[in-house]
Amino acid sequence: MVRASVVGAGMTKFGVHATPLQELFGEAAMAAFDDAGVGPGDVDALHFGNAMGGQTENDTHLAPKVASHVGIAGVPAQRYEDACATSATAFKNAVEAVESGRHDVVLAGGVERCTPQVGLDTPEMTRIFASASHRQYEQPTGITFPGVFALFTKRHMYEHGTTEEHLAHVAVKNHANGTRNEKAHFGKHVDVEDALDGPVIADPFRLMDCCPFSDGASAVLVVSDEYADSFDAPVDVAGVGHATDVVPMADKATPHVTQAARDAAGQAYEQADTTADAMGFAEVHDCFTGAEILASEALGLVPDGEGGPWAAEGRTAMEGEIPINSSGGLKAKGHPIGATGTGQIVELTEQIRGDAGAHQLAGVERGVAHNLGGDAATTVVTVMEART
Amino acid sequence: MSGEREVATDGGALPETLTYEGWCDGLKNGRLFGQACRECGHVGGTPKAACPHCGSRGLETVSLPTTGEVYTETTVNVPPAGVEERGYQVVIVAVGDARVMARLEGEHVDIGEEVRLAGYVSDEGGAPAPLFEPV
Repeated sequence: MVRASVVGAGMTKFGVHATPLQELFGEAAMAAFDDAGVGPGDVDALHFGNAMGGQTENDTHLAPKVASHVGIAGVPAQRYEDACATSATAFKNAVEAVESGRHDVVLAGGVERCTPQVGLDTPEMTRIFASASHRQYEQPTGITFPGVFALFTKRHMYEHGTTEEHLAHVAVKNHANGTRNEKAHFGKHVDVEDALDGPVIADPFRLMDCCPFSDGASAVLVVSDEYADSFDAPVDVAGVGHATDVVPMADKATPHVTQAARDAAGQAYEQADTTADAMGFAEVHDCFTGAEILASEALGLVPDGEGGPWAAEGRTAMEGEIPINSSGGLKAKGHPIGATGTGQIVELTEQIRGDAGAHQLAGVERGVAHNLGGDAATTVVTVMEART
Repeated sequence: MSGEREVATDGGALPETLTYEGWCDGLKNGRLFGQACRECGHVGGTPKAACPHCGSRGLETVSLPTTGEVYTETTVNVPPAGVEERGYQVVIVAVGDARVMARLEGEHVDIGEEVRLAGYVSDEGGAPAPLFEPV
């Protein structure tokens, strides 16, 4: 089933930007407008993501601010906040808005600045990120976000024998992929030994297991199935699943299975009348290397417990059976929180069009994006495919 | 999960409806309060207005065991602002049929090892978290 189509996609380079939020978002939005061949006057609504601007930059009520900057003041504009899944939920609501017939053209996207450009150091930013943990029942323990995913990953290691070397292979792969993506924050050739030599952030995660703090923006233009054929290069949204799980994480039934991802993936595959086996590639939320392993299993791309070995054997590399994070993922491409979800949609759009440049995969017609928020208690899974 | 839970037997000692305030009071008095769902039997380690698994409002305050097994653990070397120490261990402990996130003091523990409630730690605003130690 075609739920909507993406007809324009744009993003900034993810990295370090001195630019204010509206200008950073404007760069992505203008690129999306130009890609689609539309002007601001064609846009009916803005679904916008920014997770932490109030905390990091004393900047709130951003939807009308960025709408004003990109020439669409006056349209209904709303901001979403779902931690790291912020712009994926904005995108989901954009899809529903055109699917329902409420709007013809919706701009969905997000922006965030997380680097020291905002004037905050690592401990301060670590504290702000930890605000996604439960305020009463998790934050007072001193847990951090690397710590949250370390807790998931340690249990996965205990249950399935996943090793620190497996984790290192994910970092090595995604950094190698990042070298081919001009929009990536990082990208370098490292080996497993380098990764295993790094300082421990929250065990088992070393520095190379963790994604960077990044600045950046991304935006896509979403239109209805009926309207899509009047554009040059539509890519269809066949399914969007969105599920949540219990917070705090100790109250989740089985934390490391990331049930919300399994539920969201089930919804997305069912809507798209497809299965995990039919995915040509995946962009998953690898905020930490362990998170990629959990996601690869939760999406059904890799058998449960095999995420580590598959990464180590190259089966999730660009030339492998199921390429995961050919963009470099959050790990190398970067993770500007509120821009990450629609950044994945930009990547799916470009890969399926064959426009991904140096990191283009061969002949991919269908892919899946997985964007999670907080302790994976929010997860959005999107299936996109070539329009037929 | 294995283990037994103590159901309220001491009348007024357990709050009828568990709130954050009651959970903190319990913790500061060496007890871990949770909730058992009368409908689906789920036992949780933190207060809710309804069962997170079935939605029932029929939640009974229970006193959870104060010894349990490490379900998962990590050592945080890069703390958030406001935490002075580093290299501290954070654990999720299975206490009877529930789990709680906690700080650990003393020797490093691995998954599966037994730990017991040793008190609580407070963050810079005074919010408490359970503190466990190896048995």
